[in-house]
Amino acid sequence: MLRADYFDGRSTRIRVVTLSVVGEDLVVTGEDIDFRVPFATVRVDERLGRAPRRLRLKDGTFCEVRDLDALDILLSLTAHRDGWVDRMQRHLQWVLFSIVVCVVLAVVAYKWGLPWAAAEGAHRLPPAIGKALSVQTLKILDGGILLPSKIAEERQQALSAEFHGLRLPEGGTSDSTLLFRGSPQLGANAFTLPDGTIIVLDDLITSIGDDQQTLAVLAHELGHAHGRHALQLLLQSSAVGAFWTLYIGDISHLLAVAPAAVVQARYSQALERQADDYGAALLLHNGMSPALLAGALKKLAEPHSGSSMEGYLLSHPSTDERMRHLRLLAASFKAK
Amino acid sequence: MEKISGSESPSQASSARAAEQLHFTGRGGEYFGVWIVNLLLTIVTLGIYSPWAKVRRLQYFYRHTEVAGSSFDFHGSPIRILIGRVIALGMLIAYNLSVRLHSPLTFVTVAGLAVVMPWLLRNSFRFRLYNTSWRGTRFHFRGTVAGAYRVFLLNGFLTLITLYVMAPFMHQRLKAYQHDNSWFGRTRCSFHARAGQFYLIYLLLLAAIVVFAIVISVSGIGGALTALSQAQKHGMHPNPHAVFRALVILYGGLLLMGVSIGPAFHALITNLIWNNTRLGEHRIECSMSPFVLIWITLSNLLLVMLTLGLFIPWTKVRLAKFQLESARVLPASDLQEFVETEPETIGAVGEEAATAFDFDISL
Repeated sequence: MLRADYFDGRSTRIRVVTLSVVGEDLVVTGEDIDFRVPFATVRVDERLGRAPRRLRLKDGTFCEVRDLDALDILLSLTAHRDGWVDRMQRHLQWVLFSIVVCVVLAVVAYKWGLPWAAAEGAHRLPPAIGKALSVQTLKILDGGILLPSKIAEERQQALSAEFHGLRLPEGGTSDSTLLFRGSPQLGANAFTLPDGTIIVLDDLITSIGDDQQTLAVLAHELGHAHGRHALQLLLQSSAVGAFWTLYIGDISHLLAVAPAAVVQARYSQALERQADDYGAALLLHNGMSPALLAGALKKLAEPHSGSSMEGYLLSHPSTDERMRHLRLLAASFKAK
Repeated sequence: MEKISGSESPSQASSARAAEQLHFTGRGGEYFGVWIVNLLLTIVTLGIYSPWAKVRRLQYFYRHTEVAGSSFDFHGSPIRILIGRVIALGMLIAYNLSVRLHSPLTFVTVAGLAVVMPWLLRNSFRFRLYNTSWRGTRFHFRGTVAGAYRVFLLNGFLTLITLYVMAPFMHQRLKAYQHDNSWFGRTRCSFHARAGQFYLIYLLLLAAIVVFAIVISVSGIGGALTALSQAQKHGMHPNPHAVFRALVILYGGLLLMGVSIGPAFHALITNLIWNNTRLGEHRIECSMSPFVLIWITLSNLLLVMLTLGLFIPWTKVRLAKFQLESARVLPASDLQEFVETEPETIGAVGEEAATAFDFDISL
């Protein structure tokens, strides 16, 4: 015998009934109510927390039960079995299992899935999109933070000629455009746009001094162009932004932007390493030493070597480790 | 409260009834189990399971919400939600593509979306209400399609061309459309808030935003100026750390503004809306404190960040409990007297029978 509220589905009147199971049937009795139905035709709600469970009858009426444990005993007398999701939700081991799997999947997706998908996506996007993005970006930069270069015309042409003469490890020469610009705000810096256009700033050329070393930095930037890193980063930050908006979006949209920036900083280290390796390979391919790039990095890392040096290295972290890696590559080259 | 029912309808003054407080009995720990298992199933099925997860989530919250000793229930079918999501996703993609690729098609797509949107939203209101019940009696939404076009397209257009001066009015019209057309069984709801009351709260919102903006720009620009003057003294470029500090103040302030003005506004407008909604002769009272809501939102946000999201179920339960329990029903008569619409009238009016096109488009 189990106490329940019976509702006829036509009014909000509560009628108190008692439920019992006799053979294969559910028996409902109360004031002017007395009927029995085969239990197989009764639909039983999931047990969700401490919410009342409803036994829904075929005619649209239902019994609402609050004593959940007593109901479980009643149900054990019938052929009813709770659904597997229902049981998982209530069992500690399955809840713990779900936590572990969710966390593992999240870590895997973050560490490998996202960079892989973004890199694939970056290589598959039509070149027109990279081109359009770059034209747009360059327009914005030229309208504000970038100024015309003050480097002598002959020096620019010499660097350009050497840059375009570089033979790529995969064969041929680069079709990247090389642009010279100045920018007091950005300091000694060089960067690659989504379509592979490389912008080198005056401060970088003057503070490195040696144009062979500048060329090594450009080889590194060609690594970014080759790997389509700018597009990859763009895709990654969009994906992370979208994910956070969906995940905690209803709490704050503003906050969704922050994790994207963090992820950006973390991923860019791996991409720098890739660009270094490509740059080193390219230098070797052209009979130059990767030590040139290490030398350039060293100059950029020196604190008192002229104007604001922080730019290039702020966007290119962990210089010491990178120089060590490059010198190693240079040494192994000499050993051959 | 006795005064209200007494002055409102003298015939019922003798039967002044106690307010029926809404209760939410869910618990974070219990909901966590539901949340994480359904999250896992959603991930493993690449999102296909998400409508089933949503139904279970809604059922958890509806069934733990009680008034007058009985809980609500949600009856939505996951398949319909899945259909709604596919449609919503399709529209989102169509919109994004057409906005990026400038062509004559852009105009056609955007116009097409604008034309179907009111109809979809009205069907989605209908879906949500029709699938909500209390003591076995369902809610209904009977807003007309024409009404939806008036509220969303005409008023939306007026709002845009008046540079949002009409936004509070539009909000009032939307709520009137929603609440005046809501029914519980055969009992109709009514909405009594005037546009002027909406304007008052929107003016408060505007004032808060202006004050915040002034405070932030003064502190932010102040920081930047200090950095610049220091830099000039030393004959150097601006100190990046000082600039960074100024930016942190600026964005920190903006963040604080986003997470505190939003909830305060939400509390005030929710109180206004529900205090002016009636179900037949029954009144509703809602007294959500804006300050408590700000506190709950901020602390929830912090807890979610610190636990990388694992605390989400507790924050949802905490928020639902606070919001629901700030509402009461002031019954004018016995709450046992609601009657469900007769099935035959449904068929005759051809409304609920037409639920084939009803789905939930909210993602």
